[in-house]
Amino acid sequence: MSERPDPSKRASDNHQIDPREPLLRVEQLSVRFAGVRALSEVSFVVWPGELFAVIGPNGAGKTSLFNVLSRVYQPEAGRVTFAGQDLLRLKPHQVARAGIARTFQNMGQFPTMTVLDYLLLGRHTRMHSGILRAGLFIGPTRREEWENRAYCLHILDLLNLKEVRDRPLGSLPYGLQKRADLARALAMEPRLLLLDEPVAGMSLEETEEIAAIILEIKEQLGITQILVEHDMALVMGLADRVLVLDFGRVIAEGRPAEVQANPAVIKAYLGEESEQLPAPADDLPAVSEN
Amino acid sequence: MIATKEPGRSRLRQELPREAEPPHLLGSLARWLWLGVGVLALLLFFSLASDDWFTIVNYCLIAAIATLALNLLSGYTGQISLGLAFFMGLGGYTAALLGGNPPAGPLDPWGLGLPVFIWLPAAGLVAALVGALIGPSALRLRGFYLGIVTLALVFIGNYLFRNLNFITGGPQGRNFPVPAFGGFSLDQQNSILGVALTSGQQYFLLILVVLLLSALFVYNLSRSRVGRAMRAVRDHEVGAAIMGVNLFEVKMGAFVLSSFLAGVAGALYVSYARYVIPDYWSLSLSIQFVAAIIIGGIADVWGSILGAAFVFALPQVIDYFSLLPPSTGGGGLSSGDLNALLYGLLIIVFLLFEPGGVIGLVRRLRPGGPRPQRLGTGASAGAATVKEGGESIEVVDLQQHLPGPGEERGSSGTGAS
Repeated sequence: MSERPDPSKRASDNHQIDPREPLLRVEQLSVRFAGVRALSEVSFVVWPGELFAVIGPNGAGKTSLFNVLSRVYQPEAGRVTFAGQDLLRLKPHQVARAGIARTFQNMGQFPTMTVLDYLLLGRHTRMHSGILRAGLFIGPTRREEWENRAYCLHILDLLNLKEVRDRPLGSLPYGLQKRADLARALAMEPRLLLLDEPVAGMSLEETEEIAAIILEIKEQLGITQILVEHDMALVMGLADRVLVLDFGRVIAEGRPAEVQANPAVIKAYLGEESEQLPAPADDLPAVSEN
Repeated sequence: MIATKEPGRSRLRQELPREAEPPHLLGSLARWLWLGVGVLALLLFFSLASDDWFTIVNYCLIAAIATLALNLLSGYTGQISLGLAFFMGLGGYTAALLGGNPPAGPLDPWGLGLPVFIWLPAAGLVAALVGALIGPSALRLRGFYLGIVTLALVFIGNYLFRNLNFITGGPQGRNFPVPAFGGFSLDQQNSILGVALTSGQQYFLLILVVLLLSALFVYNLSRSRVGRAMRAVRDHEVGAAIMGVNLFEVKMGAFVLSSFLAGVAGALYVSYARYVIPDYWSLSLSIQFVAAIIIGGIADVWGSILGAAFVFALPQVIDYFSLLPPSTGGGGLSSGDLNALLYGLLIIVFLLFEPGGVIGLVRRLRPGGPRPQRLGTGASAGAATVKEGGESIEVVDLQQHLPGPGEERGSSGTGAS
């Protein structure tokens, strides 16, 4: 696969993905900050169409892993291959173009931007107007703007956000902001969606809505997802496979049921005394409300 | 809930929904009314104002172009610059070199005597080119540090302008000939379509056209892909990069375009003042434009124009109407002192009470405009309103549009699409 971005071949054409090849391959990844090891020799693969979860206690290295994947952190060692290309050779802004979209753990980056503008910003790599064409705003630029607004409105519709399309993000309740962020990530038409604690700080009801959206992204759109989340019940109920990190190391990997039974995981999560993790039951445990 | 049929590009191309149409520049009745009011005001001003008023307003319109340039770079893109005067000077001297009279004696500065439609765009292009050369190193810096580097540009520029006698005429400055369009030059009475126009009126038309074109360009930019990327870079660089925005490209674009507009404004200034000295392109000129975007409104085209009016026209108006003497030689209050007082007061008042500037105030007071978040405004405003009271934030009406925990998904979402 060519490493040079080719405008005629969009990264998100899912049917081009070979299902026998992993979409993402992380090998022996290590990240270190001033002597502190955030990640130590982490390896895993994510298959196309999979919903892969990364869990672990606070400070386990989950967000560091995402920051490597979005090229915010430079790893000390290791290789990351995404769809056949070396991800670590891309600049941060080229990651989005390659087909990786990421949601934010905390909102508040763009408080004055309206929801619709935020989604359109997400479509930055899908649009082409440069300064001169944009400044003249004639013909093709207007057309492009119209097409992409239509696309974004469609996604807003799907996520029940259409009523707030012209509201500034900062004026929305937290749950809606997070949902708008998910909509923005979807608007990027990614091949791989990185969800950084998508239900953190959400109410039980909001959590269930997001869970349903995540499932539909997987089942209806077939987009590969990596989910970092504290909410164990959510992870165990949704994920195909789970990777457990503790102090920057992989302590377990496998299907939710296997991981839950793993003594190392139980120890890391609940300490020595505890015997088992909460089951992925239908009644989700209460999530802290914001 | 999420439809199986992905909205591909090809499908969108066939039928674009009306609701997704980008708003037209004159898309509403209110905007047509405003346009009418604006045209009427311009016509009234044009036919009634005295020469003094044309002088005040023409300088103010030139300043508005430069304010737009700074607002593009600092207001929209968030890159602090104190170097605007430098780029204006570059434009001014480019115009002087290209449009100036050929030297009569060996000590006179050079001039090629080219017409306005060459020196005006060339002034912008030269400033833009220098911006493009400086940008890659300057834009590696952020915030305060970028401010310092651009400040240095003003001093370097001042040194060059003082010493490049063959272009600038040295510290004494140089003349600039009257711009001429073919047969008629702008310093005499000319008649266009049978209407006799004074010099001030002709300059007014020239400057107004340039301002309108610049304003339209910046406005279009702000509502497009590039404008969104600029605002994203301003608000959160890492976040913008995660969206796929090339930070360097966006900053460079803003820097170069800003330099272009500043160069054009500088050229217009020189051609209108008819004389230019190096000291004009000083730090205090740069700072006046910073004041203009703060007072007028950050990241707003109308804000730029209003800001320029407040900073560059108001002092002249006060001088004009004030009964105070222009200068008292020490004791008492002169109209210059009054201006300095008002100017400082305005900046403080706007920074403290209305960070949106004059335009923010106007937009807030306008009926139907975006209202500030206020407690309890959600009660009657429709489906998607949100009530924010104290710490607890709850969605009031949106809930009923969302399926409950037990409901079947897929029915409620697709019903709307």
